[in-house]
Formats: sequence, structure tokens, C-alpha cells
Amino acid sequence: MSTHRASSRRFRLARLPNSIFAFLLVFMVASLWVPRFFTPGNLSSLLLQSSIMIILSVAMALVIIAGGIDLSMGSVLSMCGVIMALCMRNGLHALVAIGIGLAIGALFGLLNGLIVTRLRVPPFIATFGSMGIAQSLANTLSGRRTIYWESGSHSSLVDLLKGDVVHIQLGPESSMVFYIPFLVVLTAVVVGGVIFLFRRTVLGAYVHAIGENEEVARLSGIATRSWTTLLYVISGALAGFAGLLMLIRTNSMQPTSGDWLEFVAVVAAVLGGNALEGGKGSLVGAIFGALTLYMVRNALALKGIDTSVTMVVIGAVLVIGMFLNALATRHEKKLSARAETENA
Amino acid sequence: MGKLLEFRNISKTFPGVKALDDVSLDLNPGEVHVVVGENGAGKSTMMKIISGVYAPDRGELLLDDIPLGRNTPKIAEQHGIAMIYQELSIVPELSVMENIFLGHEIRRGILIDRKAMDKRAEELLASIGVKVSPGTLVKNLSIANQQMIEIAKALSKNARVIVFDEPTSSLTDAEIKELFRIITALRGKGVGMFYISHRLEEIFEIGDRITIMRDGRKIATAPIAEMDMGKVVEGIAGRRIENVFQRHFPAKGEILLELKDLCGERFQHVNLNVRAGEIIGLAGLVGSGRSEVVRAAFGIDPYSAGEVLVRGKKMPRNNPQRLAHEGVAFLPEDRKREGLALSLSIRENAVISALRRLNPLTIVDGRRERATVRDFVRKLGISSPTIEKLVHFLSGGTQQKVVLAKWLITEASIFIFDEPTRGIDVGSKSSIYSLMDELVGLGAGIVMISSELPEVLGMSDRIYVMAQGRIAGEIDREEADHVSVIQLAFSQTSASQGRSLQ
Ligand SMILES: Nc1ncnc2c1ncn2[C@@H]1O[C@H](COP(=O)(O)OP(=O)(O)OP(=O)(O)O)[C@@H](O)[C@H]1O
Ligand SMILES: [Mg+2]
Repeated sequence: MSTHRASSRRFRLARLPNSIFAFLLVFMVASLWVPRFFTPGNLSSLLLQSSIMIILSVAMALVIIAGGIDLSMGSVLSMCGVIMALCMRNGLHALVAIGIGLAIGALFGLLNGLIVTRLRVPPFIATFGSMGIAQSLANTLSGRRTIYWESGSHSSLVDLLKGDVVHIQLGPESSMVFYIPFLVVLTAVVVGGVIFLFRRTVLGAYVHAIGENEEVARLSGIATRSWTTLLYVISGALAGFAGLLMLIRTNSMQPTSGDWLEFVAVVAAVLGGNALEGGKGSLVGAIFGALTLYMVRNALALKGIDTSVTMVVIGAVLVIGMFLNALATRHEKKLSARAETENA
Repeated sequence: MGKLLEFRNISKTFPGVKALDDVSLDLNPGEVHVVVGENGAGKSTMMKIISGVYAPDRGELLLDDIPLGRNTPKIAEQHGIAMIYQELSIVPELSVMENIFLGHEIRRGILIDRKAMDKRAEELLASIGVKVSPGTLVKNLSIANQQMIEIAKALSKNARVIVFDEPTSSLTDAEIKELFRIITALRGKGVGMFYISHRLEEIFEIGDRITIMRDGRKIATAPIAEMDMGKVVEGIAGRRIENVFQRHFPAKGEILLELKDLCGERFQHVNLNVRAGEIIGLAGLVGSGRSEVVRAAFGIDPYSAGEVLVRGKKMPRNNPQRLAHEGVAFLPEDRKREGLALSLSIRENAVISALRRLNPLTIVDGRRERATVRDFVRKLGISSPTIEKLVHFLSGGTQQKVVLAKWLITEASIFIFDEPTRGIDVGSKSSIYSLMDELVGLGAGIVMISSELPEVLGMSDRIYVMAQGRIAGEIDREEADHVSVIQLAFSQTSASQGRSLQ
């Protein structure tokens, strides 16, 4: 029995998402090939740059595994950011502003969830619709202009969050500064929290079951509509949170800052092995997907290569990552086939 | 003694079908109540009313003589009702343990208690004799093991009422024995069970009472001791069936399909052939490699050595299109995943492989298509108001018939059938057997994998028996009987374990 258990716990190469293979590949190539890539400073800024996308792709993966999609993410990000910035411009305390922003993000998620589960509108259409609503709200509220606020005691929290937790000067140049901004820590905490919920509560199993076959989930006594709605609420709140990160990083808020980010998040999630038909995938995969995308961008920029090449390289990375994963899967299948014949 | 559960005058209508018409039925504690009837008779619909999937249009459901009122899967579960659905209801991407406890996880606060679930899952699996670890992903299991996971899932709920909707359709003898042992134990504990099956031999072994249904109505309920096979068959089919296995033996022709020394991951050195006019039975235990051999032969899975010859021509590997082009038709074991498009209609599914034949000028000839499909619908006894009904809404056995129709319509000359009559009622089984007989009469050759011995013995000209990935022996029709086949099926298993079969 004990050997039995051990084998089920064994580390499974093929269970790792594609994006980890892609990530390692890109990381190695970039480190060897791009001179200023593997420096403390660059790696730190890479983390900072990708943190917003990490949040969005985790949220996207959650919805995608459940067989849905959330296209409103980018505009909800902009809208929530604009609302938070406006609150602070009007002297509201940052904590209150953040609370309002996150609540409105969650409310939009609730709206998405109800439209999808109660009115039975396909998620693609439903969230496309609310994308329009959120975007025009962002535009109207901001008057299509960047919003600044006067820094004061009420906004000191934002100023604090803009700083670094760790800051080590390893050498004279800026590339030798290793730093970890508050933003990255915040991102890690939130993402860690979502992953914890996903793994240690029923959330993970339910999301997979709903995405794989909603009927089966329903027959197992799962309140599929409530759970699906909850996912969109989480996704909306996380988009709002990403808006907060954007606002802190730029110390201002543009109504267009979330443009197209939902599509990048879809690419990151898919790169992370989250099949768009639902039922399979992983949150960790999405994180590495996001990291890989930003790493490719970063490396090409450092190398001075035109950004239009970025998507081509990302496509190639996606294919190679999948190929490596397929190899690992085949290898594992062989092992399990052998194990089953030995058992028989 | 009070009734555990009772249906009172239940009716249920779906668009165009009266699935249940004023049915009353009850269940005592500690009883196995067998329900039989032709495909589409309404058996599954009735059971789904117990488990809260459908609400009846009229009538009521009583539990311990108290009307149940509103019912949903969750409410049913809280009342101690568990159901094993006819269509597998598991999630392939989740582990065995997660599947067993899906919807009723063991929790500590809001967190799931993986350790406790792991332990409980292991106990459950051990108690039903399944040798897989709780952490295995379900998609990596054989269909038989997936079915056993469903059973473990139902058992994990400690239910008072358990419904088995065709639990044995993808199990073999060893697993069925195990299941019956569990059912007997549950009966001793006072659990009431409904048991639906088309395998009529087994219902006499396990049942206490039997109910026969036809066309949404109850024909009869009686203690099983007062019934015999003839009566049951007549009740289901509505007619007497003297000889289920009708065979004429035409003259044999050329060798149509031949496997020479085929080796793969799960089978070694397989040699077999089929001549025109022949039905070949491929028998053996589940896991003996039967399905794997035919999948490789048809080009779906790879093989490492050996040859596949069609009419003496060597076939390329991994090329099912080529085999289909040479007139080989393959009916896979897993009809839901590999045989049907659930969101298409009966007609669309039936013609999908024969589109080129039916429409030689590549322009769809709707009249001809419909006529052909109607012809097979009639021959196979597919029960549906129209051929445009979506396959998703058909009863389990009726779906199986659509898969069969799909391959029969292709007018292939070599048929590979993996469990062709799984889940099909006796009446239709005998029609399918005569269709098969008709096909070989016209010069076709058939390879039939089957776990039902009577079917193998009744239909085959020759029987190959597989054991542990090898052909353990070949028996002619005249010499074949239960004993000889079973002995071969177990032969190498026992030899390799250093024991001899007693
Ligand atoms: N959801 C549905 N929508 C429409 N028709 C349905 C639905 N479910 C079942 N039916 C129809 O109701 C009838 C009874 O189906 P049911 O599944 O109860 O048959 P069954 O007795 O279980 O048959 P089998 O032996 O093939 O499993 C069939 O004609 C079927 O097509
Ligand atoms: Mg049924």
C-alpha cells in the first residue's frame, strides 16, 4: 500500500504546464543571448512589469477552466482604476477608494455571472457587452484624460505601496540594483491566496468539473450556476485589483490603460495549457504564461529588436512548449501503461 | 413494514415523447428491484426522477411514506439517495479521489481534508477490489475502472437508496462478481436498490423483484422467482424470440483482413484473420488487449512491429482514412467520445461516414440520405419520433444503435465491432444479430469483440481468445463452449503467476 501511495504522489513531468517548459527555454536562451538580460536590475523590473498581467491571467485561467471567458477584464481594470483615482482626487482616503474600486469590479463580475448563468448568454458575448459598458464608463468619468491627484495624507498608502520592500545595491550601475517592489509582494500574496483557495477548498475540483461537463457537475449536486457566478465575481474583483496596481505603478490613471490586456491574458492562459474548451489547465501555468510573454518582450527590447517581431517569437515559443509537453506526456503514458500491466 | 421509496402515478413527457405514463413502483428496504425494458422504455427517466434530475409532470415520489416534494440532485443526496448513471458521469481531468468525493467533499472548515479523503478513497477502492491509487487522473483509467470509480462514488455517500443504471455494461465477469458481492452486502444492511440491466442472465442472479417496462408504461412487477427467461424476454420485446442467434453459414471466401505478428505496447505477436462470410469472435478479459489490438489494426493507435493486410495488401500505420477507404469500418468501444457527435441529429450522425457514398457528386442528396437513414432506423428499431432528433436526447441504448447505423450505412465489407450490443435490449439485439448474419451472407467479414460469452459463442464462426496481450488460442464454433473459452482467457494469467487453474 505504501509504495502505492508514493507512486501517486510522485512528481509528474507531464503534469507540469507547457508554459514552464517554454519559460525555462526562453529564460535560458535570453540569459545566454541577451547581454543585459540576466542582471538583478532587469529581473526585478521584469517581475514588476509582469505583475499586472499575472493577476489578469490567473483570473482568466479560472474562468477559462470553467469553460467561460472574460473579455471585460481590460476595461474593468481601466474603469476601476479611474474610479479609484477620482475618489482620491476628491480627497477620499486611499483605503476607501480601493474598497470602492474593488467592489465595483466585483459588481461587474456579478453582472457578467448573472447574465451568463441566468440569461444563458454565451460568456463571449456577455463579457464583450460589459466590456463596452465598462469602457464607456471609464471614458465618461475621466473625460478621456489622465487623472492625477494631489498627494497628501489621504494618499500616503499609495505612495507607500509604490516603494520597494527590498532594495540592494550590488554595484554602481542601475542594472546592479536588486529590488522587490511592494507591488510584486502584493501580487504574490493575492495570487497565492487564489491558488490556495483553488487547491485547498472545493473551488478547484468544481471549476474543473463545471468546465469539463456542466451536466456531470450538476448531477454531483454542485450548484453550478452559483459557482460560475462566483468565478466571474472573482475575475471582476481581480481586474479591479489589477487596476489598483496600474494606478500605483503610474501614480496616475489613464482610461485606456487596460486596452487589449484581456487578449494578452487569454494568450498567457492558453500558453499556460488552459484549453479554451474548458475543463483542463492550471493557474500556475497561466502565471508562467504571463511571465514568458513579458520575458520575450523584455529580451527583444533589450536586444533592440522591433516589437512587431514579438508575437512571432511568442507563437514559436508556444509551439515549442507544447511539443516538449507532448514528449513528456508520451513518456508518462508509457510508464503508466507499464505500471498497469505489472499490476494486472 | 414501510416502503423505503414509492412512485405514485408518475408521468413525464419530453417534446414528442411520453417517456413515462402513469407509472407506480416501490422499493423495500434491503431489496434489489430489477427494472428491465426495451431501449427508450423510460427506465433511466424514472431513475432520474428519483435523483432529482427531472421533475415529474404528474404523480409523486414518496420516501418513507412521506411525499418528497421538490427534488434536486442535492436534495436527493441529502435524503440518502445515490445514483450510478448510465452515461459515465465523471470528470476525466480530476483524480480518482476528487471524482469520488465531487460534490460531497470531506472538509475541515472551508478547507478540504485531502488526507481524510485519500484514506477513505483507498478504503473504498480496496473494498470493491479496484487496484488504482486515489491520485491517478481518471482519464488514464480504462472504461471498466472508470465505471468502478462511479460505483465507489455512490458507495461513498452511505446511501439508503442506490440506483444502478446499467452498471455492468462495461464490466467483465470478475468485476461483475465483485459488484454483486457488494450489492449482497448492501442488501444485508437494509439498503434498497434499483438495478437496471440488459444482461438478462445477471438479473436472475441478483434480483429480488422485477419490473418490466415498455413504451413508458409498466407491464408487470413480480418476484423474480416467479419469472423465467422466456417470460422476461417476451415482456421486453413484446414478442416471443425463439432463437436470438440466427446464423446461416455461407461459403467462405478470400481472406479480407489479416494481422501478422502484430506487436504494440499492450499486445504481442497477434496473428488473426477474417474471411469473407465469416464472423470472428475476439474474447478475453477486459485488459487482455482486445480493444488495443483492433485500434492499432485500424490505425488509431501505433504498433511497433508486424503487418496489417487488407485483401492481401499491406496497410500503412496510423492511417485510419486509408483503412476506411479500403472498406473497413470500426465501431469503437467508447461510443460517447469516439462514435457520436452528441449535438447533431440522428440523421447527421448516421450519414457522416457515408457522405461520399450517398452523395457521389458531392452535392448532398437529401432525399436519398433520409431514405437510407429511415431504412436503418427501422431495421435497428431506433425509437425516436423523428430522425432529426438530437442524439444527446436519445436513451443510452438508442445512441448505441445510431453508432451502429453509422457504420452499417457505409456499406463497408470488413467490420470491426467493439462490444456492438452493449446496452441494447434483447429484441434489438436479435435484430442486430440478424443484420450481422445478413452482412456476412453478402460477403462481408466481421471481427466482433465481446465480453458476453453467449453472444461470442452464438455468433462466431471462429473464436480467438486473448489473455495478457497474446492470442491464447483459437477455437472453432463446433468445439467452443463456456469452459474452453474461459480456460483460455485465464490460461496465461495463471501460468505467469505460477499457479494452475483449478
Ligand atoms: N432530456 C430529454 N429530452 C428529450 N427526450 C428525452 C430526454 N431524455 C429522454 N428522452 C426520451 O425519453 C424516452 C425514454 O428514455 P430513457 O432514457 O428513459 O430510456 P431507457 O429506458 O433508459 O432506455 P435505454 O435502455 O436505452 O437506456 C426516449 O424516447 C428518449 O429519447
Ligand atoms: Mg437508460
